[in-house]
Amino acid sequence: MSMHDSANYRDPLDVLRRFIPTPHRARYRIGPIRVVVETNDFTLLPGLPFDEAGTEMAEWTFEWKLVRDAEAVGTLDEPLSLTSGTLTIVYMGTACLLGLDHERRELLGFIGVEVGASTFQEYLLPILCRMSTEALGPHLLSSIPGAEERRVVDA
Amino acid sequence: MTFSFNRQALLLRTDFSVAGASCFLSTNSEEVLQAAERWKKVQPRAQAKSFEMDIFVEAALDVEGMQRAHFRGLRHLVWVALPPRGLITYDLLRRRVRAVLTSRAAGDLAFWDSLLLPVTIGILGTTMGVAPLHCACLDRNGSALLVAGASGAGKSTLATALGKRGFAVVSDDWTYLTLGESGLIAHGLAAPIKLLPDTTRFFSELEKFALRMTLNGEEAYEVDARRELGFAVKEMTEPKWMFLLERSTARGCRMIPCRAEYVKGFFEQGAERLPEELPQAKVSRSKVIQKLSECPAWILHTGESPQATATAVDHFLAERQNEYA
Repeated sequence: MSMHDSANYRDPLDVLRRFIPTPHRARYRIGPIRVVVETNDFTLLPGLPFDEAGTEMAEWTFEWKLVRDAEAVGTLDEPLSLTSGTLTIVYMGTACLLGLDHERRELLGFIGVEVGASTFQEYLLPILCRMSTEALGPHLLSSIPGAEERRVVDA
Repeated sequence: MTFSFNRQALLLRTDFSVAGASCFLSTNSEEVLQAAERWKKVQPRAQAKSFEMDIFVEAALDVEGMQRAHFRGLRHLVWVALPPRGLITYDLLRRRVRAVLTSRAAGDLAFWDSLLLPVTIGILGTTMGVAPLHCACLDRNGSALLVAGASGAGKSTLATALGKRGFAVVSDDWTYLTLGESGLIAHGLAAPIKLLPDTTRFFSELEKFALRMTLNGEEAYEVDARRELGFAVKEMTEPKWMFLLERSTARGCRMIPCRAEYVKGFFEQGAERLPEELPQAKVSRSKVIQKLSECPAWILHTGESPQATATAVDHFLAERQNEYA
């Protein structure tokens, strides 16, 4: 079973499920960005190049905390995005809740139990990457190989 | 669908006071402004801090069907999906609320009283010096008694029985406490009283109301204390006494004096875990609990009906009030 013991996580004092343990950790690279991912499900570790120790220093570090939510059933809905100066929220029903804090460079999210590994890697991961790179602003985005092209295609 | 929260998009603004905190509201909807109007009548008590709430109302979300309530949080972010089709996000570090609501919910006062405001103060309160505590609060001649107890102990039923005896209802389930220079203030949010179906054996008048599905998925009567039950209702009061309610199989009603440490432990051990990003929130909540634990407190063992228990409480407090007078 890929998911950590958190499938049985129950804490009546944690109704928001904030404290589900996320023991799997790894570091990745998206251009000049280092992404430190922590999760309770190794199928949510992204298929991105690892940030290996000893390579050049990353200019920006983002933290992603991705929680596989064993209680959130259902598939992905159409995305609903809420944007403000400091936060970007993406809601796809209870199967996917994402929130990016631009200032703190933290991307936090819950992924429902019925969202498969391939859906995560092929559909959600590009969204996570785009949210993180866009948080750097357009002037920094241009320094990331491929990022501008992706924006044009998305538009 | 994308919603950009900026000043150009949300041109309508107002502010109001809720549970001792000031809310600065921006919206694109006249219905939201009207719904907030009644909260402008609440006398502000500048005990707590303020928060921003931006509400987008989008008619395209008014589609058939109803989503279930869903609550999740990580660190300082909280997502709340509310029926019928609303999404509310909370940034606890910056005390900002961003919501997208259907036009049906935006102007529905029941939605504001039962969901939007209790959920908002429940989630954001500790960041503003407002401690949400799981207890009922009733006012007797300007002094309040708080009734705490485990879920199912009968807080709402006892609150209803006390309301029928002339106590003013502040809240039946969650009470929001602030601590200022003048001491503790207990706030209510005019939320409806929630009573389980079997309560009709004590209050037959409930049978004329329809059962509703509540947030935790159980069926219950949700009745407006003032409008539907004719009770006196107060928005705030000063806590003076504390009862910890325990059901008993033995007949009779007993009030057993209770030490401050016990009351403190009861509330601390039952309090929501807060993230380490909010150290001050935990400190301010503990200060409120500490102050509350200094009130005279009793464990209320009862094997009687709610009406008989309410009578016993009323007489007991009348004697205490005479002692202090």
